[in-house]
Amino acid sequence: MRRETQNVLLVLLGGALLKIAWTGTYLRYVKPSLLPFLAVAAVVILALGLIAIARDLRAGRALPAGFTGAAHSDHAARSPWLLLLPVLAIFLVSPPALGSDTVTRSAAMPAVPGRSDNDFPPLPSGPAPQLRLSDFVARAVWDDAGSVNGRQVRLLGFVARGAGGDTYLARLVITCCAADATAMKVRLVGRSGLATLPPDSWWEVRGQVVPGSARQDSRFVPTFTVSGLAPTTPPPETYEY
Amino acid sequence: MALPAGAVAPVTPSPWRRITSLEVLCAALVLAMLGQGPIVRILDVPGLRTGATVFVAVCVQAMPFLVLGVLVSGLIAAFVSPAALRRALPRRTAAAVPVAGAAGMMLPGCECASVPVARRLMQQSVPPAAALTFLLAAPAVNPVVLVSTAVAFPGEPRMVAARFLGSLGTAVVMGWLWARFARPGWIAERALHRPQRDPGRGCWAVFTETARHDLVSSGGFLVLGGLTAAALNVLVPTSVMASLAGHLLLGVLVMALLAVVLALCSEADAFVVASLSMLPLLPRLVFLVVGPVVDVKLIALQAGAFGRGFAARFAPATFVMAVGCAVLAGVLVLGGIR
Repeated sequence: MRRETQNVLLVLLGGALLKIAWTGTYLRYVKPSLLPFLAVAAVVILALGLIAIARDLRAGRALPAGFTGAAHSDHAARSPWLLLLPVLAIFLVSPPALGSDTVTRSAAMPAVPGRSDNDFPPLPSGPAPQLRLSDFVARAVWDDAGSVNGRQVRLLGFVARGAGGDTYLARLVITCCAADATAMKVRLVGRSGLATLPPDSWWEVRGQVVPGSARQDSRFVPTFTVSGLAPTTPPPETYEY
Repeated sequence: MALPAGAVAPVTPSPWRRITSLEVLCAALVLAMLGQGPIVRILDVPGLRTGATVFVAVCVQAMPFLVLGVLVSGLIAAFVSPAALRRALPRRTAAAVPVAGAAGMMLPGCECASVPVARRLMQQSVPPAAALTFLLAAPAVNPVVLVSTAVAFPGEPRMVAARFLGSLGTAVVMGWLWARFARPGWIAERALHRPQRDPGRGCWAVFTETARHDLVSSGGFLVLGGLTAAALNVLVPTSVMASLAGHLLLGVLVMALLAVVLALCSEADAFVVASLSMLPLLPRLVFLVVGPVVDVKLIALQAGAFGRGFAARFAPATFVMAVGCAVLAGVLVLGGIR
């Protein structure tokens, strides 16, 4: 591949990364704390491409010897073409955040956050406090004091379908990027029409846990008795961290 | 800017102007834009959609680390002379290897960062064995990884010690083995070839040109690794992890293979295996030691930087050694299988 083409590819790649950092779509792929590193990386890639283009122009369109890819043209020549793939994926396809497909795929994986102690702070007061789904599951599994038993809470998540036709409310938890997403979910019961909720639709669900339902044989998935549900828009941060 | 006399290529007037990669790129971009609708429709299958998201995620996650790596590589090329590196390392290779392993603690990045740096070190006449030890140690024993392991296993501080020992052991033993048994031709010629330093170029030009060249040559292989990792992430059912309870030997082997195909970043893998509470600690430790030193993304990067022949020898050997060191560290530190 020619040096000019490589530089154009670098500019495109840096531009693509800058775009997802600027518009916030990077939250579909990585966690928020990566933003400064992503922005710096995008600017550096752009700058390396632009500096090389400027240098070539000043040198009068002649290819500088020595550091160009020409000396390594045998193997390295074709691989830079692959850089076009993420560029096209970001600009043209812009893949959506992970959703129910990932939950269904990892159905057999029990996702229980490890804990060193089973002391949870008391639930926020009020009639039905809103809890993070991963927080709720951790309490349902680990809390010896049973802080969620008998309490109405509100959970936010998307609908996923289990292999046996069960309906789940789920959130994905990521540590680094979407490749390591693990599913947190509760099984919804206690209302007719739950089975017709479309997968990947977002809901705020009100209800309470069935005490003792998050056990080894249920793969630590709590059962949740629904008393009310309202459609909602996906939050800007679709993952929990 | 001064250019060598022969650098200006004579423009040969030819009736058939050759189609260059620049034109091919433009054509590809136009085609992709015209075909956007059909492309998006083809990808609108749940499995493919998930795969596309994971692919972009792996690339976006790894790019900052790769950029860090090429910048460090550029800095070394521009400002650190081979003589200074020789002074910093012990003269004997056998002694230089553990020093390089300890130096790995200072680069807080994933394997994407360490590959360009290791290649640059080799070009600045650091013994390949020491540079390879650095390559294996850096992603596994840096402070960020150790802290995240401690956070993921709150009740098991010995897991951190076992991971540290297993990973550092793998890196150092591989370095010694390389120093003892490797043949000169195993690393591709182009990897060791030091670019001729043009007397007309200042440090800034050397720095930017080296970083640019490394970014272009490793970036493509990073994308290849991301593509493989995304495909395997969707195709390999992670649920096999959950069915390994009670099979220790099988557990160790399957977890080691999963570490290779899933290619999780070394700051996240601890959180993934921490949730597998039905598995004993030993198979989970094997996953944590193997992942940062051999995975599909890293194999692609190594093949790009050092040649396919290198990757075909080095990756399997590292795999065996990492499993061995992990089991040994597990037995010593964790006190048996558990």
